Amino acid sequence: MRSTGWSFVEAAARPLARDEREAVLGDLAEGNENSWQALLGVLGLVFRHEAVLWKNWRPWLAGFGVALPSSFLLMGFSLSVTWSYLTIRCPELLQKSSLTLGSGMLVLLCQGLLLIGWSWTGGFLVGSLSRRTLWASTLLCYSPCLFCLSRFRVESLSRFCLLLFLVPAIWGVHRGLRISRLTLSWAMALAVAITALMLPGWSSGAHEWWAPPQWTLDWALCWPAWYLVGTAWRARSKTGLGGSDGLWGGQREQQTGIS
Amino acid sequence: MLGEFEYMLITAAAGLGDDAYGAAIREEIEATTGRKCSIGALYTTIDRLETKGLLKTWMGDATPQRGGRAKRMVRVTPKGVVAAKAFYDAVTRVSRGASWVANRTGSAS
Repeated sequence: MRSTGWSFVEAAARPLARDEREAVLGDLAEGNENSWQALLGVLGLVFRHEAVLWKNWRPWLAGFGVALPSSFLLMGFSLSVTWSYLTIRCPELLQKSSLTLGSGMLVLLCQGLLLIGWSWTGGFLVGSLSRRTLWASTLLCYSPCLFCLSRFRVESLSRFCLLLFLVPAIWGVHRGLRISRLTLSWAMALAVAITALMLPGWSSGAHEWWAPPQWTLDWALCWPAWYLVGTAWRARSKTGLGGSDGLWGGQREQQTGIS
Repeated sequence: MLGEFEYMLITAAAGLGDDAYGAAIREEIEATTGRKCSIGALYTTIDRLETKGLLKTWMGDATPQRGGRAKRMVRVTPKGVVAAKAFYDAVTRVSRGASWVANRTGSAS
């Protein structure tokens, strides 16, 4: 049972829930299966479990609807925030941009808050939609990051400025994993604040003919906030609690045993 | 309506009674059908049947034979019995008049 082959089997069984792992490894030991057969059996079980999770729409939405597209867009916006910061720090750039120091700081503040809001709500949605498939959402988020980091060539900027969005996004994922939803009032306040912060960007309508309008990109990042409003609204309609369960919605149920 | 493998699993578990757990059910299915039963198919089906309320499972005792690991004990619920009976009745009904049923001792015509 303690051979090298069996340590591979035990490692392969790691993704299983504790009780299920115990039962499966015990069954394999009792059946006197060799380590190769046992490894195939365990990998088959892990694969089947994973396949069952992906029958649901939630992991698809979290991975391909939020994590992948948002990471591209938020990297671009992180770069934009960094440029705004450099502009107000450098008098020559500030002069060229036709901004005063005060208005430049206001733009930077709005952009910073927007970056935090978009990243946090996106992260929260990914965390709440994909628990056991979080590895896939993480992969779909980090792949574009690595791709862009490897191709980033701007002398005056550190390539890590692309990743400014990651801190609030990880914080959002952490909260999303712990709690299932926000209360309606909190979700609504967040969504309205984010939408309001988006409006000044739309008024500066000039953009390249080939680029999509600013508002389409903004809505691509904003919809998770309104999705959270929708889920909070639906939960309130079902329970009729009216958000009386504190700032946050229902605490995430404990994941125990075999699901 | 149950699937074929779900029916076999429930029937094996019911036959084993208090001794029904993963390895024993697997052995029973392999012995009666002559086909290999993968541990993946077994446990995902147990999970599915438990979700449907047709089985109840709990962790049993550990034995030295199993490397000190606990068994996942299985019991068929009354709802599981009803579902298995419905499957058996359906198979019996649909098989009426089939050559291999009507001509039990002879070859198929």
